[in-house]
Amino acid sequence: MAAAALEERRWREPEDEAAADWAWSWGAGTDGQLGNGGFDDHHLPQPLLLPTRCRGRVSFVAGGGAHAIALTSDGEVFTWGRGTHGQLGHGNLDNIPHPKLVKFLENHTITCVSAGWNHSGFATDSGQLFMCGDGSFGQLGTGDNLSRNFPFEVAYFNGRYIEKLAFGMRHSLVLLKDNSVYGFGSARRGQVGKCVSRNQKTDNVPKLIDGFPNCKIVNIYANGDHSAAVDESGHLYIWGRPLIGEDDDDQPRRILPSLSVSQVALGWHHALVLSAGELYTLGVYRHQKCDLPGSGNVLVQQSNTRATSSSHDRSSSLSMLETVPFIDGEHVVQIASGTEHSALVTDKGSVFTWGWGEHGQLGLGDTSDHVAPQRVDIGDNGQRMSGSLAVYCGSGFTVAVKLP
Amino acid sequence: MSAYDEVEIEDMEWNAELKAYTYPCPCGDLFQITLDDLRLGEEIARCPSCSLFLTVVYNAEDFADAKEPTTQKPSPSPVAVA
Repeated sequence: MAAAALEERRWREPEDEAAADWAWSWGAGTDGQLGNGGFDDHHLPQPLLLPTRCRGRVSFVAGGGAHAIALTSDGEVFTWGRGTHGQLGHGNLDNIPHPKLVKFLENHTITCVSAGWNHSGFATDSGQLFMCGDGSFGQLGTGDNLSRNFPFEVAYFNGRYIEKLAFGMRHSLVLLKDNSVYGFGSARRGQVGKCVSRNQKTDNVPKLIDGFPNCKIVNIYANGDHSAAVDESGHLYIWGRPLIGEDDDDQPRRILPSLSVSQVALGWHHALVLSAGELYTLGVYRHQKCDLPGSGNVLVQQSNTRATSSSHDRSSSLSMLETVPFIDGEHVVQIASGTEHSALVTDKGSVFTWGWGEHGQLGLGDTSDHVAPQRVDIGDNGQRMSGSLAVYCGSGFTVAVKLP
Repeated sequence: MSAYDEVEIEDMEWNAELKAYTYPCPCGDLFQITLDDLRLGEEIARCPSCSLFLTVVYNAEDFADAKEPTTQKPSPSPVAVA
Protein backbone atom coordinates (compact mmCIF):
# COMPACT_ATOMS: atom_id res chain seq x y z
CA MET A 1 0.00 0.00 0.00
CA ALA A 2 2.75 2.41 1.02
CA ALA A 3 4.76 1.46 -2.02
CA ALA A 4 1.79 2.08 -4.25
CA ALA A 5 1.21 5.47 -2.69
CA LEU A 6 4.85 6.34 -3.12
CA GLU A 7 4.81 5.23 -6.70
CA GLU A 8 1.75 7.31 -7.35
CA ARG A 9 3.35 10.38 -5.84
CA ARG A 10 6.55 9.88 -7.76
CA TRP A 11 4.56 9.48 -10.90
CA ARG A 12 2.37 12.48 -10.38
CA GLU A 13 4.63 15.07 -8.86
CA PRO A 14 6.30 16.50 -11.92
CA GLU A 15 3.32 16.00 -14.18
CA ASP A 16 0.23 17.31 -12.53
CA GLU A 17 0.30 21.02 -12.98
CA ALA A 18 0.08 21.41 -16.69
CA ALA A 19 -2.24 18.48 -17.24
CA ALA A 20 -5.37 20.56 -17.01
CA ASP A 21 -5.56 22.13 -20.43
CA TRP A 22 -4.81 19.46 -23.00
CA ALA A 23 -6.50 16.17 -22.05
CA TRP A 24 -9.92 15.64 -20.47
CA SER A 25 -12.33 12.87 -19.57
CA TRP A 26 -15.91 12.66 -18.28
CA GLY A 27 -18.69 10.14 -17.59
CA ALA A 28 -18.69 6.84 -15.67
CA GLY A 29 -15.66 6.67 -13.41
CA THR A 30 -16.18 4.07 -10.71
CA ASP A 31 -13.42 1.79 -12.02
CA GLY A 32 -10.95 4.64 -12.49
CA GLN A 33 -11.63 4.83 -16.23
CA LEU A 34 -11.60 8.64 -16.22
CA GLY A 35 -7.87 8.56 -15.40
CA ASN A 36 -8.32 11.63 -13.22
CA GLY A 37 -7.04 10.01 -10.04
CA GLY A 38 -10.47 9.15 -8.67
CA PHE A 39 -13.19 6.52 -8.74
CA ASP A 40 -16.29 8.68 -9.26
CA ASP A 41 -18.53 9.65 -12.13
CA HIS A 42 -18.05 13.19 -13.44
CA HIS A 43 -20.60 15.13 -15.46
CA LEU A 44 -18.14 17.75 -16.67
CA PRO A 45 -14.71 17.41 -18.33
CA GLN A 46 -11.95 16.58 -15.84
CA PRO A 47 -8.20 16.79 -16.40
CA LEU A 48 -6.96 13.41 -17.63
CA LEU A 49 -3.68 12.82 -15.84
CA LEU A 50 -1.48 11.82 -18.74
CA PRO A 51 2.16 12.85 -18.20
CA THR A 52 3.00 16.31 -19.50
CA ARG A 53 5.63 14.86 -21.79
CA CYS A 54 2.76 13.27 -23.76
CA ARG A 55 1.25 16.66 -24.54
CA GLY A 56 0.65 16.95 -28.26
CA ARG A 57 1.84 13.37 -28.76
CA VAL A 58 -1.30 11.37 -28.01
CA SER A 59 -2.26 9.90 -31.36
CA PHE A 60 -5.13 7.65 -30.24
CA VAL A 61 -7.14 6.62 -27.22
CA ALA A 62 -9.01 3.30 -27.15
CA GLY A 63 -11.91 3.05 -24.71
CA GLY A 64 -13.08 -0.33 -23.41
CA GLY A 65 -15.80 -1.40 -20.99
CA ALA A 66 -14.19 0.48 -18.13
CA HIS A 67 -10.55 0.87 -19.13
CA ALA A 68 -8.67 2.94 -21.65
CA ILE A 69 -5.43 2.83 -23.61
CA ALA A 70 -3.58 5.94 -24.82
CA LEU A 71 -1.06 5.60 -27.64
CA THR A 72 1.57 8.27 -28.33
CA SER A 73 2.99 9.18 -31.72
CA ASP A 74 6.30 7.61 -30.77
CA GLY A 75 4.78 4.31 -29.78
CA GLU A 76 4.41 4.50 -26.01
CA VAL A 77 1.31 3.05 -24.38
CA PHE A 78 -0.51 4.09 -21.19
CA THR A 79 -3.46 2.23 -19.65
CA TRP A 80 -5.86 3.02 -16.81
CA GLY A 81 -9.26 2.02 -15.36
CA ARG A 82 -10.56 -1.46 -14.63
CA GLY A 83 -7.87 -4.10 -14.38
CA THR A 84 -9.88 -7.05 -13.03
CA HIS A 85 -8.94 -9.36 -15.91
CA GLY A 86 -5.41 -8.11 -16.49
CA GLN A 87 -6.53 -5.81 -19.29
CA LEU A 88 -4.19 -2.99 -18.20
CA GLY A 89 -1.14 -5.17 -18.89
CA HIS A 90 0.75 -4.24 -15.73
CA GLY A 91 1.00 -7.80 -14.41
CA ASN A 92 -1.76 -7.52 -11.82
CA LEU A 93 -5.54 -7.22 -11.50
CA ASP A 94 -5.68 -3.75 -9.96
CA ASN A 95 -7.94 -0.91 -11.02
CA ILE A 96 -5.77 2.15 -11.64
CA PRO A 97 -7.31 5.66 -11.62
CA HIS A 98 -4.50 7.36 -13.59
CA PRO A 99 -2.70 6.58 -16.84
CA LYS A 100 0.28 4.30 -16.32
CA LEU A 101 2.98 3.39 -18.82
CA VAL A 102 2.81 -0.24 -19.90
CA LYS A 103 6.39 -1.14 -19.04
CA PHE A 104 6.19 -4.55 -20.66
CA LEU A 105 5.96 -2.86 -24.06
CA GLU A 106 8.77 -0.36 -23.44
CA ASN A 107 11.09 -2.05 -25.91
CA HIS A 108 8.47 -2.07 -28.63
CA THR A 109 7.13 0.75 -30.74
CA ILE A 110 3.35 0.41 -30.69
CA THR A 111 1.45 1.64 -33.74
CA CYS A 112 -2.12 0.57 -33.01
CA VAL A 113 -4.19 -0.27 -29.91
CA SER A 114 -7.73 -1.42 -29.23
CA ALA A 115 -9.86 -2.14 -26.16
CA GLY A 116 -12.77 -4.55 -25.79
CA TRP A 117 -15.03 -4.96 -22.78
CA ASN A 118 -12.20 -6.40 -20.65
CA HIS A 119 -9.39 -7.05 -23.13
CA SER A 120 -6.64 -5.02 -24.80
CA GLY A 121 -4.46 -5.34 -27.87
CA PHE A 122 -1.26 -3.68 -29.08
CA ALA A 123 0.31 -3.92 -32.55
CA THR A 124 3.99 -3.08 -33.02
CA ASP A 125 5.86 -1.37 -35.84
CA SER A 126 7.29 -4.76 -36.75
CA GLY A 127 3.78 -6.15 -37.19
CA GLN A 128 3.56 -8.19 -33.99
CA LEU A 129 0.35 -8.47 -31.98
CA PHE A 130 0.28 -8.46 -28.18
CA MET A 131 -2.90 -9.11 -26.19
CA CYS A 132 -3.92 -9.05 -22.54
CA GLY A 133 -7.04 -9.18 -20.37
CA ASP A 134 -10.08 -11.44 -20.45
CA GLY A 135 -9.60 -14.47 -22.67
CA SER A 136 -12.62 -16.47 -21.59
CA PHE A 137 -14.27 -16.17 -25.00
CA GLY A 138 -11.04 -16.79 -26.91
CA GLN A 139 -10.78 -13.08 -27.64
CA LEU A 140 -7.01 -13.03 -27.04
CA GLY A 141 -6.46 -15.34 -30.03
CA THR A 142 -3.98 -17.45 -28.09
CA GLY A 143 -5.58 -20.82 -28.81
CA ASP A 144 -6.88 -21.12 -25.25
CA ASN A 145 -9.45 -19.36 -23.08
CA LEU A 146 -7.06 -18.09 -20.44
CA SER A 147 -6.82 -14.48 -19.31
CA ARG A 148 -3.45 -12.74 -19.22
CA ASN A 149 -2.25 -9.81 -17.15
CA PHE A 150 0.88 -9.06 -19.17
CA PRO A 151 0.79 -8.47 -22.92
CA PHE A 152 1.21 -11.83 -24.64
CA GLU A 153 2.31 -12.20 -28.24
CA VAL A 154 -0.20 -13.96 -30.47
CA ALA A 155 1.96 -16.65 -32.09
CA TYR A 156 -0.59 -17.33 -34.80
CA PHE A 157 0.50 -14.18 -36.64
CA ASN A 158 4.25 -14.84 -36.52
CA GLY A 159 5.77 -13.66 -39.76
CA ARG A 160 2.65 -11.72 -40.74
CA TYR A 161 2.23 -7.97 -40.33
CA ILE A 162 -0.65 -6.63 -38.24
CA GLU A 163 -1.82 -3.23 -39.39
CA LYS A 164 -5.05 -2.45 -37.51
CA LEU A 165 -7.04 -3.71 -34.53
CA ALA A 166 -10.71 -3.36 -33.63
CA PHE A 167 -12.21 -5.07 -30.59
CA GLY A 168 -15.83 -5.54 -29.64
CA MET A 169 -17.35 -6.67 -26.37
CA ARG A 170 -16.06 -10.25 -26.56
CA HIS A 171 -14.41 -10.44 -29.96
CA SER A 172 -11.36 -9.14 -31.79
CA LEU A 173 -10.72 -8.18 -35.41
CA VAL A 174 -7.31 -7.62 -36.98
CA LEU A 175 -6.40 -6.25 -40.39
CA LEU A 176 -3.15 -7.52 -41.88
CA LYS A 177 -0.90 -5.73 -44.30
CA ASP A 178 -1.68 -8.42 -46.88
CA ASN A 179 -5.28 -7.14 -46.82
CA SER A 180 -6.76 -10.08 -44.92
CA VAL A 181 -9.14 -9.61 -41.99
CA TYR A 182 -9.07 -12.12 -39.11
CA GLY A 183 -11.45 -12.53 -36.22
CA PHE A 184 -11.44 -14.40 -32.92
CA GLY A 185 -13.44 -14.53 -29.71
CA SER A 186 -17.20 -14.77 -29.33
CA ALA A 187 -18.82 -16.06 -32.48
CA ARG A 188 -22.40 -16.05 -31.20
CA ARG A 189 -23.72 -13.36 -33.52
CA GLY A 190 -21.49 -13.95 -36.54
CA GLN A 191 -19.13 -11.17 -35.49
CA VAL A 192 -15.99 -13.17 -36.28
CA GLY A 193 -17.32 -14.58 -39.51
CA LYS A 194 -18.48 -18.05 -40.49
CA CYS A 195 -18.10 -20.91 -38.03
CA VAL A 196 -17.38 -24.51 -38.87
CA SER A 197 -20.44 -25.64 -36.93
CA ARG A 198 -23.60 -23.84 -35.99
CA ASN A 199 -23.11 -24.67 -32.35
CA GLN A 200 -19.70 -23.11 -32.11
CA LYS A 201 -19.84 -20.19 -29.72
CA THR A 202 -16.26 -19.03 -29.58
CA ASP A 203 -13.11 -19.21 -31.66
CA ASN A 204 -9.86 -18.90 -29.76
CA VAL A 205 -7.70 -19.32 -32.86
CA PRO A 206 -7.69 -16.44 -35.37
CA LYS A 207 -9.72 -17.24 -38.45
CA LEU A 208 -9.81 -15.56 -41.83
CA ILE A 209 -13.01 -13.60 -42.47
CA ASP A 210 -13.72 -13.92 -46.16
CA GLY A 211 -16.49 -12.68 -48.32
CA PHE A 212 -15.05 -9.27 -49.12
CA PRO A 213 -15.01 -8.48 -52.81
CA ASN A 214 -11.65 -7.90 -54.40
CA CYS A 215 -10.85 -4.61 -52.72
CA LYS A 216 -8.32 -3.01 -50.40
CA ILE A 217 -9.65 -2.82 -46.83
CA VAL A 218 -8.42 0.38 -45.19
CA ASN A 219 -10.11 0.21 -41.79
CA ILE A 220 -11.94 -2.13 -39.44
CA TYR A 221 -14.36 -1.35 -36.59
CA ALA A 222 -15.97 -3.30 -33.76
CA ASN A 223 -18.13 -2.66 -30.69
CA GLY A 224 -20.66 -4.78 -28.84
CA ASP A 225 -21.31 -7.75 -31.12
CA HIS A 226 -20.93 -5.65 -34.28
CA SER A 227 -18.14 -5.72 -36.84
CA ALA A 228 -17.47 -3.43 -39.80
CA ALA A 229 -14.88 -2.64 -42.44
CA VAL A 230 -14.36 0.14 -45.00
CA ASP A 231 -12.47 -0.30 -48.27
CA GLU A 232 -10.44 2.21 -50.21
CA SER A 233 -13.45 3.24 -52.29
CA GLY A 234 -15.42 4.11 -49.17
CA HIS A 235 -17.63 1.02 -49.35
CA LEU A 236 -18.96 -0.03 -45.95
CA TYR A 237 -19.30 -3.70 -44.93
CA ILE A 238 -20.95 -4.89 -41.73
CA TRP A 239 -21.45 -8.29 -40.10
CA GLY A 240 -22.36 -9.72 -36.70
CA ARG A 241 -25.37 -8.57 -34.73
CA PRO A 242 -27.64 -6.57 -37.04
CA LEU A 243 -27.69 -2.77 -37.02
CA ILE A 244 -30.43 -2.89 -39.61
CA GLY A 245 -32.93 -5.67 -40.08
CA GLU A 246 -33.39 -8.61 -37.74
CA ASP A 247 -30.89 -11.31 -38.56
CA ASP A 248 -27.33 -11.91 -37.49
CA ASP A 249 -24.93 -12.08 -40.42
CA ASP A 250 -21.72 -14.11 -40.37
CA GLN A 251 -20.51 -12.66 -43.64
CA PRO A 252 -19.46 -9.09 -44.46
CA ARG A 253 -22.25 -7.42 -46.34
CA ARG A 254 -22.01 -4.12 -48.15
CA ILE A 255 -24.55 -1.56 -47.00
CA LEU A 256 -25.39 2.04 -47.90
CA PRO A 257 -24.05 1.71 -51.46
CA SER A 258 -24.84 5.33 -52.22
CA LEU A 259 -22.35 6.60 -49.63
CA SER A 260 -18.61 7.01 -49.79
CA VAL A 261 -17.72 6.37 -46.18
CA SER A 262 -14.72 8.05 -44.59
CA GLN A 263 -15.28 7.24 -40.91
CA VAL A 264 -17.37 4.80 -38.88
CA ALA A 265 -18.05 4.63 -35.14
CA LEU A 266 -19.97 1.69 -33.70
CA GLY A 267 -22.03 1.54 -30.52
CA TRP A 268 -23.87 -1.46 -29.11
CA HIS A 269 -27.07 -0.72 -31.05
CA HIS A 270 -26.18 2.17 -33.32
CA ALA A 271 -23.50 3.31 -35.71
CA LEU A 272 -22.29 6.70 -36.90
CA VAL A 273 -21.22 7.02 -40.51
CA LEU A 274 -19.41 10.03 -41.94
CA SER A 275 -19.67 10.40 -45.69
CA ALA A 276 -18.74 13.46 -47.75
CA GLY A 277 -18.96 15.61 -44.65
CA GLU A 278 -22.47 14.42 -43.79
CA LEU A 279 -23.03 12.52 -40.56
CA TYR A 280 -25.58 9.69 -40.46
CA THR A 281 -26.79 7.36 -37.74
CA LEU A 282 -27.86 3.81 -38.27
CA GLY A 283 -29.82 1.75 -35.75
CA VAL A 284 -31.22 3.06 -32.49
CA TYR A 285 -30.14 4.18 -29.08
CA ARG A 286 -31.57 1.41 -26.93
CA HIS A 287 -31.45 3.34 -23.69
CA GLN A 288 -33.88 5.90 -25.04
CA LYS A 289 -36.47 7.07 -22.59
CA CYS A 290 -37.88 9.68 -24.89
CA ASP A 291 -38.78 9.49 -28.53
CA LEU A 292 -36.85 11.16 -31.25
CA PRO A 293 -38.14 14.59 -32.24
CA GLY A 294 -41.10 14.62 -34.52
CA SER A 295 -42.28 11.16 -33.61
CA GLY A 296 -45.01 11.95 -31.15
CA ASN A 297 -45.50 12.95 -27.59
CA VAL A 298 -42.05 13.36 -26.17
CA LEU A 299 -43.20 13.86 -22.62
CA VAL A 300 -45.48 10.87 -22.30
CA GLN A 301 -44.22 8.40 -24.83
CA GLN A 302 -41.54 6.09 -23.57
CA SER A 303 -39.92 4.62 -26.58
CA ASN A 304 -40.14 0.88 -26.41
CA THR A 305 -37.59 -0.05 -28.99
CA ARG A 306 -38.95 -3.58 -29.17
CA ALA A 307 -42.61 -2.96 -29.60
CA THR A 308 -43.25 0.64 -30.56
CA SER A 309 -45.15 1.22 -33.74
CA SER A 310 -43.57 4.59 -34.36
CA SER A 311 -41.44 5.16 -37.41
CA HIS A 312 -38.39 4.46 -35.28
CA ASP A 313 -39.02 0.89 -34.32
CA ARG A 314 -36.66 -1.88 -35.21
CA SER A 315 -38.79 -3.50 -37.85
CA SER A 316 -38.65 -0.36 -39.94
CA SER A 317 -34.99 0.12 -39.26
CA LEU A 318 -34.11 -0.37 -42.90
CA SER A 319 -35.09 3.25 -43.20
CA MET A 320 -33.16 4.10 -40.06
CA LEU A 321 -30.43 5.99 -41.85
CA GLU A 322 -30.84 9.46 -40.48
CA THR A 323 -28.91 12.62 -41.02
CA VAL A 324 -27.69 14.07 -37.75
CA PRO A 325 -28.94 17.62 -37.48
CA PHE A 326 -26.06 19.97 -37.22
CA ILE A 327 -24.96 23.54 -36.79
CA ASP A 328 -24.45 25.74 -39.81
CA GLY A 329 -20.93 26.72 -40.53
CA GLU A 330 -19.22 23.88 -38.70
CA HIS A 331 -18.14 20.65 -40.32
CA VAL A 332 -17.68 17.28 -38.68
CA VAL A 333 -14.06 16.15 -38.85
CA GLN A 334 -14.01 13.25 -36.41
CA ILE A 335 -16.54 10.91 -34.75
CA ALA A 336 -16.57 8.48 -31.84
CA SER A 337 -19.13 6.26 -30.16
CA GLY A 338 -19.58 4.70 -26.75
CA THR A 339 -22.11 1.98 -26.11
CA GLU A 340 -25.08 4.36 -26.12
CA HIS A 341 -23.62 7.81 -26.66
CA SER A 342 -21.86 9.58 -29.49
CA ALA A 343 -19.31 12.35 -29.88
CA LEU A 344 -17.86 14.45 -32.66
CA VAL A 345 -15.30 17.17 -33.28
CA THR A 346 -15.85 19.99 -35.77
CA ASP A 347 -13.36 21.81 -37.95
CA LYS A 348 -13.67 24.72 -35.51
CA GLY A 349 -12.39 22.50 -32.72
CA SER A 350 -15.69 22.13 -30.89
CA VAL A 351 -16.68 18.88 -29.21
CA PHE A 352 -20.32 17.80 -29.39
CA THR A 353 -21.98 14.84 -27.65
CA TRP A 354 -25.40 13.23 -27.67
CA GLY A 355 -27.22 10.02 -26.70
CA TRP A 356 -27.35 8.43 -23.23
CA GLY A 357 -26.24 10.71 -20.42
CA GLU A 358 -27.03 8.90 -17.18
CA HIS A 359 -23.39 8.80 -16.04
CA GLY A 360 -22.45 12.24 -17.29
CA GLN A 361 -20.84 10.76 -20.39
CA LEU A 362 -22.12 13.71 -22.44
CA GLY A 363 -20.06 16.10 -20.30
CA LEU A 364 -22.86 18.67 -20.16
CA GLY A 365 -22.97 19.00 -16.36
CA ASP A 366 -25.96 16.74 -15.80
CA THR A 367 -27.29 13.24 -16.50
CA SER A 368 -29.82 14.09 -19.21
CA ASP A 369 -30.11 12.25 -22.51
CA HIS A 370 -29.95 14.23 -25.75
CA VAL A 371 -31.15 13.29 -29.21
CA ALA A 372 -29.22 16.05 -30.98
CA PRO A 373 -25.52 16.95 -30.64
CA GLN A 374 -24.80 19.37 -27.77
CA ARG A 375 -21.70 21.52 -27.50
CA VAL A 376 -19.37 20.49 -24.64
CA ASP A 377 -17.52 23.19 -22.76
CA ILE A 378 -14.23 21.49 -22.09
CA GLY A 379 -12.89 24.33 -20.01
CA ASP A 380 -10.93 26.10 -22.67
CA ASN A 381 -12.47 29.38 -21.56
CA GLY A 382 -14.51 29.62 -24.69
CA GLN A 383 -11.50 29.64 -26.97
CA ARG A 384 -12.07 27.42 -29.92
CA MET A 385 -9.11 25.32 -30.65
CA SER A 386 -9.00 25.39 -34.45
CA GLY A 387 -9.64 21.76 -35.25
CA SER A 388 -6.94 20.59 -32.91
CA LEU A 389 -8.91 18.18 -30.75
CA ALA A 390 -9.72 14.51 -30.96
CA VAL A 391 -12.51 12.77 -29.08
CA TYR A 392 -12.75 9.10 -28.05
CA CYS A 393 -15.31 7.02 -26.15
CA GLY A 394 -15.34 4.02 -23.86
CA SER A 395 -18.58 2.30 -22.86
CA GLY A 396 -19.88 5.02 -20.55
CA PHE A 397 -17.17 7.64 -20.71
CA THR A 398 -15.56 10.11 -23.08
CA VAL A 399 -12.02 11.41 -23.57
CA ALA A 400 -10.87 14.53 -25.45
CA VAL A 401 -7.24 15.26 -26.26
CA LYS A 402 -5.61 18.30 -27.80
CA LEU A 403 -3.59 17.49 -30.88
CA PRO A 404 -0.26 19.16 -31.79
CA MET B 1 -39.36 2.05 -19.30
CA SER B 2 -38.58 -1.04 -21.30
CA ALA B 3 -35.75 -3.54 -21.06
CA TYR B 4 -32.47 -2.43 -22.55
CA ASP B 5 -31.95 -5.73 -24.27
CA GLU B 6 -32.80 -9.41 -24.18
CA VAL B 7 -30.06 -11.92 -23.44
CA GLU B 8 -30.03 -15.69 -23.29
CA ILE B 9 -28.76 -17.19 -20.06
CA GLU B 10 -26.04 -19.03 -21.95
CA ASP B 11 -24.57 -15.69 -22.98
CA MET B 12 -24.31 -14.63 -19.36
CA GLU B 13 -21.26 -15.41 -17.23
CA TRP B 14 -21.45 -16.94 -13.77
CA ASN B 15 -19.64 -14.66 -11.33
CA ALA B 16 -18.75 -16.63 -8.20
CA GLU B 17 -17.87 -13.47 -6.27
CA LEU B 18 -21.22 -11.81 -6.94
CA LYS B 19 -23.01 -15.17 -6.87
CA ALA B 20 -24.90 -14.05 -9.94
CA TYR B 21 -25.07 -14.47 -13.65
CA THR B 22 -23.79 -11.31 -15.28
CA TYR B 23 -23.77 -9.56 -18.64
CA PRO B 24 -22.03 -6.31 -19.61
CA CYS B 25 -24.09 -3.16 -19.05
CA PRO B 26 -23.45 -0.26 -21.43
CA CYS B 27 -22.50 1.92 -18.47
CA GLY B 28 -19.44 -0.25 -17.80
CA ASP B 29 -20.86 -2.23 -14.88
CA LEU B 30 -22.65 -5.61 -15.05
CA PHE B 31 -26.27 -6.64 -15.25
CA GLN B 32 -26.83 -9.26 -12.55
CA ILE B 33 -29.37 -11.96 -11.73
CA THR B 34 -28.91 -14.37 -8.83
CA LEU B 35 -29.57 -18.08 -8.81
CA ASP B 36 -32.37 -17.46 -6.31
CA ASP B 37 -33.97 -15.02 -8.73
CA LEU B 38 -33.78 -17.63 -11.47
CA ARG B 39 -35.23 -20.35 -9.22
CA LEU B 40 -38.16 -18.02 -8.57
CA GLY B 41 -38.68 -17.43 -12.25
CA GLU B 42 -37.44 -13.83 -12.22
CA GLU B 43 -36.58 -12.57 -15.72
CA ILE B 44 -35.00 -9.24 -14.99
CA ALA B 45 -31.25 -8.68 -14.55
CA ARG B 46 -30.45 -5.29 -13.05
CA CYS B 47 -27.36 -3.13 -13.11
CA PRO B 48 -26.41 -1.82 -9.65
CA SER B 49 -24.98 1.37 -11.16
CA CYS B 50 -27.76 2.60 -13.43
CA SER B 51 -31.42 2.49 -14.36
CA LEU B 52 -31.09 -0.05 -17.16
CA PHE B 53 -32.20 -3.68 -16.96
CA LEU B 54 -32.14 -6.77 -19.14
CA THR B 55 -34.67 -9.44 -19.91
CA VAL B 56 -33.07 -12.83 -19.35
CA VAL B 57 -34.23 -15.67 -21.56
CA TYR B 58 -34.01 -19.10 -19.94
CA ASN B 59 -35.94 -22.27 -19.35
CA ALA B 60 -37.41 -22.02 -15.85
CA GLU B 61 -37.37 -25.80 -15.44
CA ASP B 62 -33.61 -25.79 -15.85
CA PHE B 63 -33.26 -23.60 -12.80
CA ALA B 64 -35.97 -24.92 -10.50
CA ASP B 65 -33.43 -26.95 -8.52
CA ALA B 66 -30.27 -25.44 -9.95
CA LYS B 67 -27.07 -25.42 -7.92
CA GLU B 68 -24.25 -22.92 -8.17
CA PRO B 69 -22.23 -23.57 -11.28
CA THR B 70 -18.70 -24.60 -10.44
CA THR B 71 -16.79 -24.48 -13.67
CA GLN B 72 -19.26 -23.10 -16.11
CA LYS B 73 -16.36 -21.41 -17.85
CA PRO B 74 -12.66 -21.31 -17.16
CA SER B 75 -12.49 -18.70 -14.48
CA PRO B 76 -10.47 -15.63 -15.35
CA SER B 77 -7.25 -16.60 -13.63
CA PRO B 78 -4.74 -14.38 -15.34
CA VAL B 79 -1.48 -15.96 -16.32
CA ALA B 80 1.67 -14.00 -15.74
CA VAL B 81 4.01 -14.29 -18.65
CA ALA B 82 7.40 -12.78 -18.14
